[in-house]
Amino acid sequence: MPQVSTNELKTGMKVEVDGEPYTIVGVEFVKPGKGQAFTRTKLKHLMSKRVVERTYKSGEKLELADVEESQMRMLYKEGDGIVFMHDTTYEQMTVPMSIIDDNEPYMMDDVVYDLVFYKGEVIDVSPPTFLNMTIVETAPGVRGDTASGRVLKPAKTDSGATIQIPIFIEEGELVKVDTRTGEYVSRVKE
Amino acid sequence: MSLGLKNNLLQRAQALKEVRAFFEEHDVLEVDTPLLSKYAPIDTHIDLFSVDLSENETGYLHSSPEYGMKKLLAEGVGDIYQLGHVFRKGEWGRLHRPEFTMIEWYRLGATFESFLEENLKLLRLFLGNQPHEVLSYREAMEKYGDYPESADPHIIWGCAVEPMLGQGKISVVIDYPAKEAALAQTRWVNGVEVAERFEFYFKGIELGNGYHELTDPIEQKRRLFQSNEERRALGKKALPIDSELIRALERGLPNCYGIALGFDRLLMLKLNRNSLF
Repeated sequence: MPQVSTNELKTGMKVEVDGEPYTIVGVEFVKPGKGQAFTRTKLKHLMSKRVVERTYKSGEKLELADVEESQMRMLYKEGDGIVFMHDTTYEQMTVPMSIIDDNEPYMMDDVVYDLVFYKGEVIDVSPPTFLNMTIVETAPGVRGDTASGRVLKPAKTDSGATIQIPIFIEEGELVKVDTRTGEYVSRVKE
Repeated sequence: MSLGLKNNLLQRAQALKEVRAFFEEHDVLEVDTPLLSKYAPIDTHIDLFSVDLSENETGYLHSSPEYGMKKLLAEGVGDIYQLGHVFRKGEWGRLHRPEFTMIEWYRLGATFESFLEENLKLLRLFLGNQPHEVLSYREAMEKYGDYPESADPHIIWGCAVEPMLGQGKISVVIDYPAKEAALAQTRWVNGVEVAERFEFYFKGIELGNGYHELTDPIEQKRRLFQSNEERRALGKKALPIDSELIRALERGLPNCYGIALGFDRLLMLKLNRNSLF
């Protein structure tokens, strides 16, 4: 892979350090007192999400990580994986559930996801920030609940997510959910 | 013109005016030594912009007005300051620009205490009425130098120690290791040779670097040669030695303290900004 010099480092760049892929999440030029300049970086491991700190002397070179990003549409769940298709190349691939991990409740047919590949292997699948979901299971709102300060109730969506929704939302309604926090955003009018 | 831009320009103009008023009040003469010259400060880790003076002559933009000012000091001009632009190649970051404004000034016959007092007054024009502490390089290292990611003292200093300095007060770091003396005299403290060099910090930001100025021409020459050696070892070009500077020291540089302060960083702190413009 091509290399970058310390003065070209930017947040968001994907680099390979000790044979592992990282995203740069922090970069600062440091030159204390009379000594040599260096670049202080914070690196987030692409898979484990662990953040480490590394410093590089000015002019040192870092290897770029063999990372590609692509958008693919979810077709369906299949056994222990999910089948995606690329919208323009029609290429299909199955991503194991172990990669989907915590995002499983946000996997919905016909939605386009961001996939990250490292050395050709998919390592991360992230959903759009907002998803529209149908409420498939919730208790009816009880009159008087608002007076006691309870304005939210648990609900299950068609994707399998469990979220908190306002008590006035009923089963069968479509709602917008923030996938970063798992929070209800609004009712969706069809 | 946007209100923000107008306000920033007004604040900058006001701050320049206040600095000049400060020096006038303290009987320090403003000088304006050349930015561009055939000889420039030689420092192992400061890289210069070179300029074609003519087809076969190279000049440099100065990284500090130190040499020019010391030549004037040796002429016997008395206390002087320069408020102007300096240039350092390859320095770019939240707190670094390849061109910035420096306040450099010298006080003849000063003591560390008297010079410190005057500089604190100057800093308070920007930082408000902050208290201060004086601590040695070693004390700061012992207190804050916990940084498992590196064993290099320079990196520990930059990553772990610096950010902790000047929190809620102005920190004045003294007694730097003798090998980081640059153009400062050295002295012996409890059997250890330390540099009579000091730095000001506020909110983890280095604001100024002061010296009890080296006056010995032989030692000065030795350090310039040494810097050039170190530059070569790092694969950098050695720089021409300014013989006029050596001659000035031979004529006699008066006993003095001097300091370089980063005007843009001071203004940045005054305006409560997190980075330079």
